[in-house]
Parts: sequence; C-alpha cells; structure tokens
Amino acid sequence: MQIPPLTEPVLLVLLSLAEQPRHGYSILKDVERMSAGRVALSTGTLYGALRRLLEQGWIERFAEDEALRDRRAYRLTSKGRRNLQVEIDRMKHLTRLAGLRIARKEV
Amino acid sequence: MLALFRCLLCLYPADFRREYHEEMTSVFRQAYDVSKTSNLLAHVSFCSRESAGLLLGALRERAHSIFGFNEWIPSRRFDMRLEFRFPRSTVFLMVLIFAGVVLTISKASGIELKYGSSSAVWPSLVLTLATVVSLALASAVFIWGILFALQRTGVHRLADLQTHSSDPRHGLSSGPSASGS
Repeated sequence: MQIPPLTEPVLLVLLSLAEQPRHGYSILKDVERMSAGRVALSTGTLYGALRRLLEQGWIERFAEDEALRDRRAYRLTSKGRRNLQVEIDRMKHLTRLAGLRIARKEV
Repeated sequence: MLALFRCLLCLYPADFRREYHEEMTSVFRQAYDVSKTSNLLAHVSFCSRESAGLLLGALRERAHSIFGFNEWIPSRRFDMRLEFRFPRSTVFLMVLIFAGVVLTISKASGIELKYGSSSAVWPSLVLTLATVVSLALASAVFIWGILFALQRTGVHRLADLQTHSSDPRHGLSSGPSASGS
C-alpha cells in the first residue's frame, strides 16, 4: 500500500499515541519532549491533525468517563499502527540509502 | 487570553466546534496555566503561537468543509517551530503594508501643505487611517461572506459527489494527506 509521506506533526502525534493512549494535553507535552522542544504544537494544529487522523481511521477516540467530554483520550487503531510501521520502514530505507551515498562520496 | 481563544474558536465551522470545543478549551487552559509560570518571552511566544495556530486552523477547517481539501494552506510555518521563518507571502504582505504606509504619509503631507497648519492635519490623517482600516475590515468581511455563502450553497457536497463517482469503493483512502487532510 502506497502512503504519502507524513508531515512531522502528524508523525510525532502518531508516535506519541503508539506508546499509549493519551489525552490532548498529554500529546502536546509528549511531542514537545520527543522533539527536545523543537516542535511546539498549538492547540489548533493538534486538533486539526487529530480530526484528520480520526476521519481516516488511523486513531480512535474513547471516553474514560462518559460525563467528561473534555477528557476524551485517543489511541492508535490497527490501521494506524500498520501505516505508521510502513512510514518508519520508508524512513529507515531512506536513512540507510543516505548513509551509503554519503559514505561513497567521502571515499 | 482565554476570551481571545474562545473568540478565535468561533471562526471554526460549527460541526468542528461541536465536536472539539470543550476539549480544545480544556487543553488550552492547561497549557496556558503552565505558560503563565514561565518567563515573559516564553509566555508571549506561547500566546502568539496559539493565536496564529487557531487562525490558520480555522482557515484550514473552513476550506476543508467547503472544498473538501486544505493542503494549499501552509501548516508548518508559524505554529510548528520555535525558530521563526518568513514565508514568501509574509514578504509580499510586508511590501504591501509598507506601500500603504508610504501612501498615507504622502497623503498626510499633501493635506499639511494644503491646510498649512499642523493642528488641522491630525483630524484628516486620523480620518484617512480610519478609512484604510475600515476598507481592510470590509474586504475581510466580504471574503468571509463569500466563503460562508459557498458553504451554504453546498459546494463541498458537489466535491463529495465527484469523489464518490470516481471511486467505486466509496471513501476508501490511503492516508491522512490523501484526501482533505
């Protein structure tokens, strides 16, 4: 299956959810931590990305407590996990290729 | 800042607000509380990032709800990185604003020459500036009205129709950026 390359925020959001289900604020903090403060998502950007991922079925939303609408959490679906793996494999291939090309140039 | 956040959220389409309003407000409130404890520069950076992110997000969601796509709107320039980068559109806008300022100054000089006295210049200058600002606001409202009217006419449904007729599997897509992301 051919998947278009993911944007950095989408990739980081998926990686954050790959570890465990998270709430919105927890995703924001985790993305910042993973990128060592380089990527700071705004609330608008985060929820735009979450809406698209939900729409495509890569993640799902669930309520730990039905009474709290503002405390709903997100988790990866099996489709999302599979597609994330495909993207990581693509990046691995690219990194390996880049390493080889650079090494060949240095010789 | 929370009031501004709520105002900017109103720019989002109604269905998006229904779905995410409470969550987004809750997340923003937590982030804002943490940001208040940081230094002034970090706090200002947080506020501007949130405002820009919401504005662009609202624009993207509006485009998505009307046309069914939003890839043409930059999403990683202002709100994604701590280091600031100038997109080309900013340079164009800056030139436009600079031209407006130069025009206003020359207009003010003309008025000053005409009336001779500096005390008489200010009311005219204020009037000119007010006119420019009013025109800009009117243009923004006009564009917003067109987008709203397009949404009401259901142009986005036509786009859905085209997608469905060309894709016999009805909505099977390969990735988040493949359709409307």
